[in-house]
Amino acid sequence: MNVLRWWWGLVLAFALLALVRVFLPLPFANEIVLFSVYAIGCNFLLGRVGYISFGQPAYLAVGAYGTAFYLFYFGNNPYIGILCGVAAGIIVSLAVGPLFVRLRRDYFALVNLALAVIVYYLMQKVLADITHGDNGLWFLTSIDATPVLDLTRPEHFFIFSLLVAFAIWAFYKYIDDSIFGACCLATKINEDKLIFLGYSDFAIRLAAFAVANTTTALAGAMYAVYLGFVSPEITSAARTPEPVVVTILGGVGTLYGPIIGSLAFIGMKDLISKIFGNWEIIIGFGLVLVMLAGEKGIWGTLQPVLQRAASRVLRAGSNGKRSAG
Amino acid sequence: MIDKQLLISGVLFGLSLGSIFFLMAVGLSLVFGLMRVISLDQLLYYSIGGYITYSVSSITGSLWLGALGGMIAGGIAGLAAERLVYLRIYERDISFTMITSFGILIGGVGVIKYFWGLVPLPVAVPIEAQISVLGTEIPVYRLIIVGASALVYAGIWAFLNRTIIGKAMRAAIDNVEHVEGLGINVYRLFTIAFIIAGGLSGLAGGLYAPLIMVDPQMGLDVLAFVFMIVIIGGLGSIKGTLVSSFLVGQVISLGTLIYAPLAQMAPFAMMLLILLVKPTGLYGSPLLKR
Repeated sequence: MNVLRWWWGLVLAFALLALVRVFLPLPFANEIVLFSVYAIGCNFLLGRVGYISFGQPAYLAVGAYGTAFYLFYFGNNPYIGILCGVAAGIIVSLAVGPLFVRLRRDYFALVNLALAVIVYYLMQKVLADITHGDNGLWFLTSIDATPVLDLTRPEHFFIFSLLVAFAIWAFYKYIDDSIFGACCLATKINEDKLIFLGYSDFAIRLAAFAVANTTTALAGAMYAVYLGFVSPEITSAARTPEPVVVTILGGVGTLYGPIIGSLAFIGMKDLISKIFGNWEIIIGFGLVLVMLAGEKGIWGTLQPVLQRAASRVLRAGSNGKRSAG
Repeated sequence: MIDKQLLISGVLFGLSLGSIFFLMAVGLSLVFGLMRVISLDQLLYYSIGGYITYSVSSITGSLWLGALGGMIAGGIAGLAAERLVYLRIYERDISFTMITSFGILIGGVGVIKYFWGLVPLPVAVPIEAQISVLGTEIPVYRLIIVGASALVYAGIWAFLNRTIIGKAMRAAIDNVEHVEGLGINVYRLFTIAFIIAGGLSGLAGGLYAPLIMVDPQMGLDVLAFVFMIVIIGGLGSIKGTLVSSFLVGQVISLGTLIYAPLAQMAPFAMMLLILLVKPTGLYGSPLLKR
């Protein structure tokens, strides 16, 4: 029973997410799942460790290019490609992590932004011989059809990405419950006390940084397989705020915030650009309004309301039983 | 070895680039030092300055009037943002204000797209003349940009060191609570700092507009560079900003002469190295934590 209590929120959330597939077109559903995986890394960094990162696209690009290089030059199996992207993400985040997590919060945000620009120029200009510069790498035709879940077909890809997202959410929920998660939260709230208790704040931050950015790299790898091509555009400066916006919109530090945030963000972007053709105004000033209203985001505002409603329903149910008995 | 003429024009190009970067970054740095707000919306005032310059100079035919208009528009926009948004959130965490300012930036870019469209617009260079320095032909306009930023630095220096408001501002950069305790209205200082920062960003956009095309993304294009300059110089330090903007200008310009593909990236590598040695930047004080 206890096990079920732990799982039911996750199962319910992903059942609802799977419903999106029924009511909305497939590319839209795929985009939402991928984007929520992309945003959860940022959500973890901002909500649990207190580090705001404007450079998430850098790690997205690392994962995407890791996959792209494998699929373009070496092999054809998309699963191995995704593993390559994740490996690239681990290597890069462990390489830059020790430098970055020493910095103060404000510097951290800016340095990550700089990393995104470095990766952009690296892929666009310096490594142009192997990345084909702005043209990008196209490898849609070289992805092999695999048995069971064929990633070249969008409907199978949706099932795959939903499963991966479910696993990731279970993982993050587990982290939230673990001692490591509590330590992460402590680095945000009271660092001195954490050090006093004998933990190394550097090691904890580094581990959190690596976990978050590896998740982002995984999102990048999945994007690469889904789109079948990668270009430096995914890490351009104009796209750096997107994960942060989604995180804030959904609710910082909440487990389901990224899903709600991506649903709202991509939905608004699609709708507004269809009607209005100019989505930046709404997104930008909407973000300012959300921040002025108190940074809780959509899920952060909804959650207490839902919980109260749920507990009222439960209590009514148990009362009913008691009176019947 | 590099040709001498190329070298001289490269140095001058770097100086003018550094001047523009300085004009933008000084506002960011001042606002951070005083209020601990990373004001990304300075990049919006830069774009607004560029666009106002385009409109005014195509109506009146004078770029100088345009740049003046851009400066005023940037200042007004800064004032509006401060009064409407920042005043309510000064007390909040730094990442909080940073995200809010990003919202203003993105929304403002949308407004610019709405009024002026998506197409990059050209602004005419007011002075086509070239003068000869050490046997190298150099466009006068770039020298004027360098001169303008030198004037601005002198003006800021005089303002901070010679006027009573400037002195109060410097004191507030060191310790806001003490200044408030002396009975000085720090919120007045914050407003003044925001107007100065917005105006200088607008001026930077106006002066740079003839050398590039004005387009809605122009603020986002320089975003990374301006940040890097502020980081290298140390957040909150005017002198550090001056040094690092000219450093970065030269690295980009001379780097282009040596090996073009690496030039845009070299400053970022430099920044990582500097942060590795000194995590607060060249002139940033470790006491800035608050």
